[in-house]
Amino acid sequence: MIELVDLTKKFKQMYAVKNLNMFIERGEIVGLLGPNGAGKSTAISMLSSLVEPTGGDVRFDNKSILKNPAAFRKIVGMVPQNIALYTDLTAEENLLFFGRIYRLGGKELNRKVDEVLEQIGLTDRRKDVVKNFSGGMQRRLNIGVAMLHDPEMLIMDEPTVGIDPQSRNYILETVKRLNEERGMTVLYTSHYMEEVEFLCDRIYIMDKGNLIASGTKDEIKQILSSEKTILIRADRINGKFVEALEQHSLINRVTIGEKEVTILVPREANVFSEIIKLAESTGLELLSVDNKTPTLEDVFLHLTGRALRD
Amino acid sequence: MIWQIIKKQGLLFWRNPQQLLLFLALPIILIAILGAALGSDFQNESSPIKMKVALLEHGEEQKEIEQFLADLHEKLPTEAVVAIENTIDTMAPIRSLRSVLESEEVSNFLEVNHFGSSEKEEIKDDDSYTAIIEVPESFSYDVLESIVLEKTEPPTLLVTYNEEQQVRTSIISNFLTQFQEQLTKGSFLGKNGIDLYTIEIQPIKGQVISINEKNPVSASSYYTIGMTVMNVLFLAGAIAYYAFHEKELNVFNRIILANVSRWVYFMGILTAGTIFAFIQTMIIFTFSWLVYGISFPNIVDFLIVTFSFSLSVGGLAVLLSALSYRLNSETITNFFMNIIATLLAVLGGSFYPIGDFSPLIQTIGNMTPNGAGLTAYLTLLRGDGIAGITDNLMFLVMFSLLTVIVAAICFPKRGVAA
Repeated sequence: MIELVDLTKKFKQMYAVKNLNMFIERGEIVGLLGPNGAGKSTAISMLSSLVEPTGGDVRFDNKSILKNPAAFRKIVGMVPQNIALYTDLTAEENLLFFGRIYRLGGKELNRKVDEVLEQIGLTDRRKDVVKNFSGGMQRRLNIGVAMLHDPEMLIMDEPTVGIDPQSRNYILETVKRLNEERGMTVLYTSHYMEEVEFLCDRIYIMDKGNLIASGTKDEIKQILSSEKTILIRADRINGKFVEALEQHSLINRVTIGEKEVTILVPREANVFSEIIKLAESTGLELLSVDNKTPTLEDVFLHLTGRALRD
Repeated sequence: MIWQIIKKQGLLFWRNPQQLLLFLALPIILIAILGAALGSDFQNESSPIKMKVALLEHGEEQKEIEQFLADLHEKLPTEAVVAIENTIDTMAPIRSLRSVLESEEVSNFLEVNHFGSSEKEEIKDDDSYTAIIEVPESFSYDVLESIVLEKTEPPTLLVTYNEEQQVRTSIISNFLTQFQEQLTKGSFLGKNGIDLYTIEIQPIKGQVISINEKNPVSASSYYTIGMTVMNVLFLAGAIAYYAFHEKELNVFNRIILANVSRWVYFMGILTAGTIFAFIQTMIIFTFSWLVYGISFPNIVDFLIVTFSFSLSVGGLAVLLSALSYRLNSETITNFFMNIIATLLAVLGGSFYPIGDFSPLIQTIGNMTPNGAGLTAYLTLLRGDGIAGITDNLMFLVMFSLLTVIVAAICFPKRGVAA
């Protein structure tokens, strides 16, 4: 359906996106993962024809959309990271305005507005001014506006930033439902790994403008097939212990949290006894040492040496 | 589609009462304050400046005229004396001066009080007088003798000005200069045998904004126009502010992704700016008409000026929007609202008719949209037709075109980068 070919965007001497290649098939939910500044939003802006790339192409059904984006725009709904709404207007007025912008009118528009309000759970708040909504409700309406014209594909740029867990779950469930019930294609960007794990069939991981991994969840986790993750919890992590871990020949990577240390070691290595010895010798009181199932976060850590939310 | 953008803009204004108050209540309050501060009476269209003049006569003009005519019989043939007797009323200098100072045209801003020579010192102590005009003894006799017999130099009036009332004294001085010119003219014509009967005192031109050869323009009318054309400029800034926030929040991108041409959006801003400027202007003028009775002689001409001025405000709105999109900052809009609009208001004469100081300033003032609008409105109010304001209308249209062209060049080609 959509194909990005060597897509590049350069601002002065800096590459925001460099030679990005990806594809999205109809009915898929594809995740685009990366920390802040990875180039996700720029990639989305080029994909949605809002920003002209420095190089490469965006193809929709094998036709470039760079010169003539109209056909693609018809089938795409964009959910930007910002609340792209008129906060002084009511929910209904916003939907009516954007509906008319999408050339809907009369009964069809009213029916669509009712339907969208129902889908996003705001029917009883339709007459309320948006600025009085909670962050979660504004996010839901932000999604609702993108669905007014029945798009085949939704592009969602971090749609759950800064909202409460309940609203977040509601949004994730809504996206899942739209995909399952209507076969809607979704490109979902986030730096919340668990959202992408929950929603997406395939995942692309970006960092510093480059694509660093892609595939299904399992395929990506396979990147860690030669290693395993061990989580060490303690009352207080001390410097000597961390230093000892870093100098240990079997330990590939050490990431320090407030009360925990995550280490990557070869899959076949048995380091439990080594860890206990190191804790004893450095005066650390261990709470637990666990083998951890690899997550996308671990993959990202493995690939970049940084946590996603750094 | 453009209508949807205009309607949305209207809703946004409507939902923002503070802004509505600024657009509508502020100019009305300013009109009231400025009009009142300059002493205008909104109901009877009186002048913003009041003056008092003391006319102090040391002699009696009627007796001096009679004496002059009696003496004339000894010097001229009877036919000539009869001819002069027939025109003596128009030649009597003090009568002429009084007819000017006490005429109906100036009575609403000039009060003339008569005193005898014994009251001079008392009047000098009274600061309320702008000037004391002293008529020396045998002044009229000497003037007539100078005109008819060419015997003596014309006598002079003794004028004492109140230095604390500089603007007013300059007006009185102007009056007297005019009067002096009339006397000199009379003397010259008399000496050259031209019929003295034809001499008339010309209408007086002063330096007060409210005096004109046609319909007078009161301070209330002036400031209604001045404040309106100034405040409507802020509407351009407000629309640009909304447009920039549409960009900031990605609403503009949403509109572009709905396959709406950027030119439709562009035209939406231009049209919204023009329509809301028109509505704002009409509301303020309607209020001034209802409350202060300020009305234009020709409504069609008034509507043409209002539309042209509104179009220039629409042009400004779209230019500011395009520049803020291009610079990715609303600094340009803030700079316009805080500095440029005020500067334009001063240059355009919204606070004071500074164009009266020099023709150059007048020309510069007319090269601002508000200044051109103000001049056009004032000209209409004074009774001139559309022919008298073609320059101003042309400027407003050209200004609108120029702003639209520059805005179109600056406007982003696609959406805007995230």
